[in-house]
Order: sequence, then C-alpha cells, then structure tokens
Amino acid sequence: MERHFEHQIEKLKTRVIKMCSLVDEQVEFALRAVDEENMELASLVKERDNKVDKYDVKIDKICQKIFALNQPVAMDLRLIMSSLTINSNLERIGDIAVNLAEGAMLLKQKPSFWGRTHIKEMSVLAKEMIKNSIDAFIEGNAKLAEKVVQSDDRLDSLNAENHKILIEIMKETPENIEPAVHLLVMSRQLERLGDHATNISEDVYFIVEAEMIKHNYEKYLFGEDEEDDQD
Amino acid sequence: MKEIKIAVDNLSLSYGKNRALKDITMNIRDKRVIAFIGPSGCGKSTFLRTLNRMNDLIDNVRIEGKVYIEDVDIYEPSIDVVNLRKKVGMVFQKSNLFPKSIFDNIAFGPKLNGINDKNVLMETVERTCQQSAIWDEVKDRLHEPALSLSGGQQQRLCIARALAVEPEIILMDEPASALDPLSTAKVEELIHELKQNYTIVIVTHNMQQAARVSDFTAFFYMGELIEYDKTTKIFTNPANKQTEDYVTGRFG
Repeated sequence: MERHFEHQIEKLKTRVIKMCSLVDEQVEFALRAVDEENMELASLVKERDNKVDKYDVKIDKICQKIFALNQPVAMDLRLIMSSLTINSNLERIGDIAVNLAEGAMLLKQKPSFWGRTHIKEMSVLAKEMIKNSIDAFIEGNAKLAEKVVQSDDRLDSLNAENHKILIEIMKETPENIEPAVHLLVMSRQLERLGDHATNISEDVYFIVEAEMIKHNYEKYLFGEDEEDDQD
Repeated sequence: MKEIKIAVDNLSLSYGKNRALKDITMNIRDKRVIAFIGPSGCGKSTFLRTLNRMNDLIDNVRIEGKVYIEDVDIYEPSIDVVNLRKKVGMVFQKSNLFPKSIFDNIAFGPKLNGINDKNVLMETVERTCQQSAIWDEVKDRLHEPALSLSGGQQQRLCIARALAVEPEIILMDEPASALDPLSTAKVEELIHELKQNYTIVIVTHNMQQAARVSDFTAFFYMGELIEYDKTTKIFTNPANKQTEDYVTGRFG
C-alpha cells in the first residue's frame, strides 16, 4: 500500500524537478540568444517567464499544504523546508534568464571587444553550475552539491576581472561605453546565477546530510564545540 | 446534487433539558473523508451517532430537524433501523470484537443476513480483510480467537467486520486513539484506501489526524457547527476566529 504522505512528497519533488528543467532551459535559451544574436529566442524566454511564476506559486502551495496537514519531520521536513528556498532560487534564476534575454535585445549583436571579456567562460560555468545543482537535487547527491559550491569562487573572480577589463575598455574608447555597460550588467547577472546555483546546492547538502553549509555556518559562526540552538 | 450522500438540515438534539446539538446543517459528499473536530463535549460524537440513529438507544433524547441519506429521511417512522445501520456502518474507539474466531467475527453480519454458503462467506472474509489491509496477517489463522490479535489488528478487523455487510457509509468514532503510532498510521492509510468506495465520517481528538486523513473538516464547539470547509482551508486559513484558535492550539 502506497503511503498517502509519500505520494504528496513525490508530487512535490516532481513539481520541483519540472520547474528545474524549465528554468534550466530558460537560461540555456537566454545565453544562446546572446551568443547567437537570436532575438526570437530572447522573446521566447520573456514570454515563458509566467510559466516559471506559475510553478513558483504551485510549489509554495504544495509545501504549505504538506506543512499544515502532515507535520513532516526529519528528512521529509528538510526536503520541504528546502523545497521552498530552492523554489525561490529557481524563480530568481528564471528572472535572471529574462534579464539576460533583455540584455541580448539591447545589445542586438556582440560588440567587437566581446572576446576580451570573460562573458563566454562565465556563461559556460554558470550554466554548468545550474545543471549540476539540479542534478544534485534529483539524485540527492551531496558530493555534486559541494562541487557546485566550490565552483562559485571562480565565477566571482571572473566577474571581478570582467569589471576591470570593461572599465579599461570604456576608458580606451568612450563610444564603447553603452555596450560595455550592457556587458557589465550581464557579467553581474551571470555571477548571480552562480550564487543561486550555490544556494540550491547548499539546500541539497542540507537535505541529504542534515548539515547547513551556507555561510560556512557551523564551522565559522559557532566553532566546533558551541551549541547552535541556544536562545 | 447527486454527489451529496448525507444532508443534515437544522438538526438539534437534547438530552432532557440539555441541548447538545444546535441547528446543525451540513452536506456530506459521497466518497469523501469528513473529520469532526472540537474540544471534549462539543457534540461531535453525538452528532456522528445521529447519522445512524445510535442515539435512539439512549433514554430521554429528543431530536429535531432532518437527516437525509440519499434523499431518504432516516428519522421517518417507516425506516428500518437495522437496514439503516447495515448501510451506515460504525467503528468505535475500542475494538469490540466478539469472543469468537477471526472468521466468525467477519461472517457474523452476512450470516445474520441469511448468507450461509461457506464459499460466499470465505470470499467475504478474504475481500474485507484485503480491504482492511489485514489479510496477510490473518490468512493463516482465521480460526484462531479474534481477541488474540494485537490492538491495531483488532481495530482493522473491526473495520473488516463493518465492511462485511456492504455499507455505503462508515462512521468512525476515535478509531485510532487507543493505538500505537504504527497501528495508527496503518488505520489512517486504510482510510485513504477506503474512501475510493465509501463515504467516511471520522470523529477525532487528534487534530493532526484530521489534517492527515480528511478531505473536509467540521469544527464543533458547544453543540454548534462553527466551520465546515475543505481540510486544507481549515488548516491553512480558517474563516472563523474560534476555528483558528482551536487548530493552532490556543484553546480547547
């Protein structure tokens, strides 16, 4: 006999996974829109954002229902708590995909100095981090989640380097200021994608290992011996 | 509406001068689980027992208003109460098995209805035990005393016995309150299974249980029906302040 509660949990997981694949595809399309200068793809990303929003609301509702009716504990509790935050991170990733698509529309075509920046490398890395964070959720794979968290530093430093490069470009040729600002914003968006993928992975780690690694929580805030639940 | 299985219209019940139920009106839909919640003495068990006229057995009870089951007024003088209770089965807080074998407990009702063919009785025993998720535990010991089973098994056997007379509605009065958590989970799972074929009305002191098993929840307080809505609504955003206070544990 299938447990009714397990059925609810499966339903939630399925919704989260569906939202993951939609958001993953939104990012993929937005990055291709920039890279291939494809305005149709950029419009498609904008159009489909309401689908992401619908999933967002649906997942919140399922979580609310499970909390209210089933009083989840242990791994189930961690899964549902984390599904809420994973959901809001996915929704933000969806918004960033729209911002990137809008960036593609503003740029229309890649500027001549495109190759001097790290945008392409950041796109590949951010996309990979999102994909891995989703796979980590689906597989319950804490090791893969850790790998995502570790990749974030690389994305941050590429973003910092991009800033320097783009400021240099703006100084060299003032006519390039406008496209350079677009790329500056894009670089920041890609860096944010990495942050959200990292947040998702930290949640996956929490679901699987019951340990909060966000903000290096236990190690840095409380030290090894200190209790973390003191009022 | 065809979906309405039980319609209660302005029902009041008094024990002597004490009015235990006040003007209850509610519709219960077919093949759903409805939970009655509320503090002790709120009238929820009394109301449950009006649905198969169990209160008839108590002296000094006066009932006003109507209870319709599939459009038939069950308090009409022409109603055969035995037939009514066949249609509206009941499971109590404590299992009340007969001191007979497992087989005989289930076969008792059908035999009373004139079924004596052993094969038919055996089929009924197997079917109802399957439905009550107890078959695997009793199939090799059908002729052992029913009272040798564990508390949780006895309660599921009571449910099997109630199903043997092919009811359409099952009333459950605190069916799991005397059981350990594992047996409780089994009974709750069983309720989810049974609602595919039966309308189930359950009285429970355990709010979480109401939340887990039911589709609709009715909150009673001092003999009044305060709020009746989808269980999700009652437990996430009740309309009435008293309901909210009760489900959040602020009173009762």
